[in-house]
Amino acid sequence: MSDEVKSAEAADSAEVESPSLYDRWNAVREREITVAVLTVVGVFLAPFVLVEVPEMIGIRTQYIWYRSLVTLALIWGIFAIGYDLLLGFTGLLSFGHAIFWGTAAYAAGIFSAEVSGSPIAMLLVGTTVAVLLAWVIGWISLRRGGIYFAILTLAFGQMIYYIFLSPLGWLTGGENGFNSVAVDPLLGFLPLGAEVAVVPDALIGTWMYVFVGIATILAVVVGNRVLNSPYGVVLRAIRENEQRAEFVGLNVWRYKLMAFIVSGAFAGVAGSLYVIQRSFVPIENTLSWTVSGEIVIMTVLGGVGSLFGPLLGAGLYMYVANIVSGMSGIGDFWHMILGLVFVAVVVLLPEGLWGGLSWIRERVAGALGGDDR
Amino acid sequence: MSVVGDLIVLLVNGLQTGAIYVLLAIGLSIILGTLKFVNFAHGALFVVGAYAGLLITQEISISNGKLAEWGYPTLGLEWGFFAALVIVPLFVFVVGLAMERFVARPFYDRPDTDQILVTFGLAIVVQEVIHALIGPRTYGYEVPTSAFGLLPMTGPIGVPLSDVTINVWRLWVIAITAALVIAVYAIVEYTDFGLVVKAGTRDPEMVRLLGIRITRPYLVMFGIGAALAGIAGVVGGPLQNINPEIGMTILVPAFLTVVIGGVGSIRGAVLGGTLIGMVQVTLISIGSVGLGGLQFNFTPWAQVGIYVLAVIVLLTRPQGLLGSEEVSA
Repeated sequence: MSDEVKSAEAADSAEVESPSLYDRWNAVREREITVAVLTVVGVFLAPFVLVEVPEMIGIRTQYIWYRSLVTLALIWGIFAIGYDLLLGFTGLLSFGHAIFWGTAAYAAGIFSAEVSGSPIAMLLVGTTVAVLLAWVIGWISLRRGGIYFAILTLAFGQMIYYIFLSPLGWLTGGENGFNSVAVDPLLGFLPLGAEVAVVPDALIGTWMYVFVGIATILAVVVGNRVLNSPYGVVLRAIRENEQRAEFVGLNVWRYKLMAFIVSGAFAGVAGSLYVIQRSFVPIENTLSWTVSGEIVIMTVLGGVGSLFGPLLGAGLYMYVANIVSGMSGIGDFWHMILGLVFVAVVVLLPEGLWGGLSWIRERVAGALGGDDR
Repeated sequence: MSVVGDLIVLLVNGLQTGAIYVLLAIGLSIILGTLKFVNFAHGALFVVGAYAGLLITQEISISNGKLAEWGYPTLGLEWGFFAALVIVPLFVFVVGLAMERFVARPFYDRPDTDQILVTFGLAIVVQEVIHALIGPRTYGYEVPTSAFGLLPMTGPIGVPLSDVTINVWRLWVIAITAALVIAVYAIVEYTDFGLVVKAGTRDPEMVRLLGIRITRPYLVMFGIGAALAGIAGVVGGPLQNINPEIGMTILVPAFLTVVIGGVGSIRGAVLGGTLIGMVQVTLISIGSVGLGGLQFNFTPWAQVGIYVLAVIVLLTRPQGLLGSEEVSA
C-alpha cells in the first residue's frame, strides 16, 4: 500500500547522503521478498494508521466500525488485485465481476449452514465455485472481444443476479439475503471475533483481521508472481497488441480465458472472506451490478496496471466512502462527487492515483539525481 | 377468457415491452455501428428523458431531494403530456449533441475500455445528480385520458372476441415507436444524409477524401440516437415507475437487443427488441405449469430468459441475427 511510497521516499532522502542507496533500492524493489515484506508491514500498520492515529489526534472514530472497515478494505483489495490482472494487465474490461464475488459469497454461506462453518473450508468452497463459474462465463464471453466482452459480462451479471433473486429464492433467501451463515472458529479454536492476545490489541485487533491479512499478503505475492512470470509477460503482450501476440504464435484466447479464471479466483477468495466477516449474504452487496461497478471504480481510481494501485484504490474507496458519506452536507453528494472524480481520473490520469504517485516519485528521484525509471 | 384474447394481450404486451428496448437499441446500435463508440450513458439519456418529461407534464412534490431543502418543495411546468412528447426529444437531442461534442469526440481515438469507463462514470454522475436533487423516490406519470377528446389515450379497452382488457396506452407506445422507427429508417436509407452516414460506416477515410465533412452527420446521428432514448423515457414512463436507477436497469436489455439484432442494423434492433419483449412477456404469462405432478413456475425465469436468448444467438450467430459478417469489434 502507501508504505512502498514512504519507503521509496525514505530511500530518496537517504540517497542524498549515499548515492548508491537509491540504486540499491531500485535493485531490490521488484523482488518478491521485498513486495511480501512491504505488504506484511502495510497490513500490520494499517489498523494503527487508519484507526488509532485519527483517534489520537482527536478525530472521533466509531472505533469498532472503523476496525471492521480496515478488514473490509483489505477484502476489497484482494478483489481489486484480481480484477486488475484482467483489466490492467490483459486489457479486458469486465462488468460482471460481482458474479464471482457474489456466487462465492453464497457458496461459502450456504456451505457454512449446511456442511461446515470452518472459515478455511468456506474459503475453499467459495473460491472453487467462483473458478468453475469463471470458466463457463469466460468461455462464452470471450467469444467476442472488446466492447462485447464488457456488455456480455454485464449481461451475465444481471442474469445470475435474477437467478439468485427469484428462481433460486428457496435456497438463497431471495431479496432478504441468506442469513443462516454459521462461521466456526478458525482452525477449530480461534474465534474470529476475539482479540489476538499475544500482541497489543491496538496493532492487530481480532483474529478476523489476521485471517484476512494473511489472505491479502498471499494475494499480493501470488499477484506479483503471476505478473512477473512469463505468463504475466504474455498477458501484457496481449494488452499491448493482441494481433501481434497471435502472430507470434501465442494462443491468445486461452491466455485470456486463464486471466479471466485467475481474476475470478481472486474475486472468489474476497467474496468468501466477505461472508466470513459479515456472517450474512446480502444480495444487494454481492450480486448486484453495483458491485461490478464498484470494483471497476476502485481499480481505475487506484491505478490499473500496477500491483499496489488497486489495493490503494480499494482502501481509499472504503475509507473515504464511509467517512465522507457520514458527513452532513457533502454526504448527500458523495456518490456524485465520486462519479466526477472517476470521470476526471479516466480523462486525465489513465494510470490512476498510483500512476500519479509513481510520476511524483520519479520526478523526486530525478531531482535528486537518481536514474529516471 | 378465450385463447384468442389471451394471445392478443400477449402480443400487445410483448410488442410494447419490446418497443421501449427498440427505441433505446436503435440509438445504441447506430452510434456503435457508425462511430464505433460504446455508450454506457445511453441509459442516462433515458432517465433524463423520463424526468424531463415528468417535469414538463405535471407538478411533482419533492420529499427527499435537495431541491426541497433549497425551497422548491414542488417542481414542474404542468404543460401536459403532449408538450412533453414534443419538447423532450428536442431537449435530449441537444443533450446528445453536447455529449457527442464534449464526451464522445475526445474519446474516439482512445481504447474501447476508456470509452466504456468514461460513459459509465457519466451515467453515475447523471443518476446521482437526479438522486441528490429530486430524491430517490419513484414517481408515476399522468397520461391524459384522451387525445383532444377524440381518441382514448389511457385506461382499459376491451379486446375483440374476449372479455379481457388492456391499457390502451400500450397500443400508443407501439404506434409511436413504429412511426419513429420508420422515420429513422427512411432517413438512413433514402436521404443523402443517410448515405453519408452509411458510407462513413464502411470507410470514413474514403468519405473524408471525397471532401465530405463526416463529423457533422456523426454529430446529428448521435443526437438522433439520444432523442430516441429520451422519447423512450417519456412513452415508457407511464407504464413503469420512474426513479434515478432505471437508467442502468434498462441499459442491459437495450444492449442485449443490439447484440441479438446485430450492430448497426435498424431492422436488427426491431427484431431483437421484439424477440426480447415477447420472450419476457410469454414467460411471465405462462405462469405455473404442472406436468406429471411437478409444478414448474416460469414467471421468476422471465428476467433470465432474455439472457438465455442472447447466449443462444451469440453462440450460433455471433454477429447478431441481422448483423453483417464484416462488423466485428
